[in-house]
Amino acid sequence: MGAAPGTAPVLVVEEVRPVAEGVRAVTLRAPDGGALAPWTPGAHMDVELPNRLRRQYSLCGDPADTARYRIAVKHEALSRGASEYVHLFLRPGTALRVSEPRSTFPGRTAPGTLYIAGGIGITAVLAMYLRDVRDGRGPALRYAGRGRAGMPFLDELPGTGDVVVAAADEGRRLDLAALARDAADGTEVVACGPPRMVAAVEETFGAERFGPVHVERFRAEPRSFADDAPFTAECARSGRTVAVPAGETLLDALLREDVAVAAGCREGVCGSCAVTVLDGEPEHRDLLGAPPGRMYPCVSRSTTEKLVLDL
Amino acid sequence: MARRPEPMSLERVRELVGEPSEAAVGKVRDHVDHHVHRFIAHSPFVCLATAHADGTADCSPRGDYPGFVKVLDERTLAIPDRVGNNRLDTFENLATDPRIGLVFLVPGHHETLRVNGTAYPTEDPDVLARLEAEGKTPKVAIVVRVREVYLHCGRAVLRSRIWDPESFALAELVPTLGEVIADRLGNPAVSADAIDADLARTAYKTLY
Repeated sequence: MGAAPGTAPVLVVEEVRPVAEGVRAVTLRAPDGGALAPWTPGAHMDVELPNRLRRQYSLCGDPADTARYRIAVKHEALSRGASEYVHLFLRPGTALRVSEPRSTFPGRTAPGTLYIAGGIGITAVLAMYLRDVRDGRGPALRYAGRGRAGMPFLDELPGTGDVVVAAADEGRRLDLAALARDAADGTEVVACGPPRMVAAVEETFGAERFGPVHVERFRAEPRSFADDAPFTAECARSGRTVAVPAGETLLDALLREDVAVAAGCREGVCGSCAVTVLDGEPEHRDLLGAPPGRMYPCVSRSTTEKLVLDL
Repeated sequence: MARRPEPMSLERVRELVGEPSEAAVGKVRDHVDHHVHRFIAHSPFVCLATAHADGTADCSPRGDYPGFVKVLDERTLAIPDRVGNNRLDTFENLATDPRIGLVFLVPGHHETLRVNGTAYPTEDPDVLARLEAEGKTPKVAIVVRVREVYLHCGRAVLRSRIWDPESFALAELVPTLGEVIADRLGNPAVSADAIDADLARTAYKTLY
């Protein structure tokens, strides 16, 4: 539940280390070196950088190491300021506010789960894949990227596993159709990568004969919706009523009226801002698949004139 | 009216002030190095000075999260144009005279960063994408082509005690915008408090 900045724990940067071309791993520790909140493989957390930008990063370290979290950040060519900060300016010893780790992936996956990672998407699936290997659950990993030099953590994959590295500069690309053809009925898929790859995985493995497909996105692809309709949000606990005009998000309207909600990606991909809906029918626009009774106010609106929220 | 002060010549100013030190002359660079980049990456506030070809000058503050001004390369900066009063003074000036002078501040830091060069507006999508904040992409950005860069010595900031929290008490002694507007309106039905409350609820809540 992404805690609001200010109440969130403060961790200290232990190390910033290049792990591939254009990718840096950052390890974080408690200021007193004590044990951190536990996390399950697949979890991510909000990190607030010294420039006040908050981003969600997957935990890609060892969950058994309770003294540190590890994240990895790719330097984006069109950085809005977070990945550039990590790459050019972040120093060991810097204090960063973080949220508790949380996960949109299932805590446990079926034996023989197929993990598909594109580029820096490996950070979301690495710990899950390694857990399944350790537990003898026979997972498979397909890891695609432009070239091995820019693909982090290749050296951390056990040599004996069912791993295929598809590096485009070696002429090897991920062939999802072939992968689907060879996959057993009921195969569960976990994928993280660029929007086009994730969409292709969802389409390919959306077929009836496969198991559930779990995906995580870096950023939302551009999508279009019906025109915004205005609505009101009633905050049951605080007794406030907030008007949400077309063109303003529910999240922005709530924050404007000083209703505390944690803001994360603002694109419906991270889950930071989840709120409980007590009455009314949300118009879900998120990419997470909101569970019943919940919604993500950064993108989602309302199909009813009024929403009652547990705020 | 008070007596208008007499102007003086540059020669006379130089005679009184003395010659600049070599360090003060030599500190000027023509590009953004890694120290300057770090300064800009931590600066939440910059003032933009521009002039109109008709001779009028203007200075306009811009602020956002630290590093909101992006360094596109060592000779190019990009400044987002966020919602404001839509007066477009800076853009009107740049359309007639591209020269610009910037002063960057970093809270708590003694030195200010000076950047001089030329500037123009752009709607290049790659530039605007980098300037997104709070989920909103600006419609326009100002691209600055860097000609001179230097750290301005910290004496002004030190003398001002601008970063000393005790200095914050000064704000209490200055009228609020509501007080200024109410005074100019002269309508007893519209109180300064009401205007300030309205500003806090509307204009100052819609920052993006």
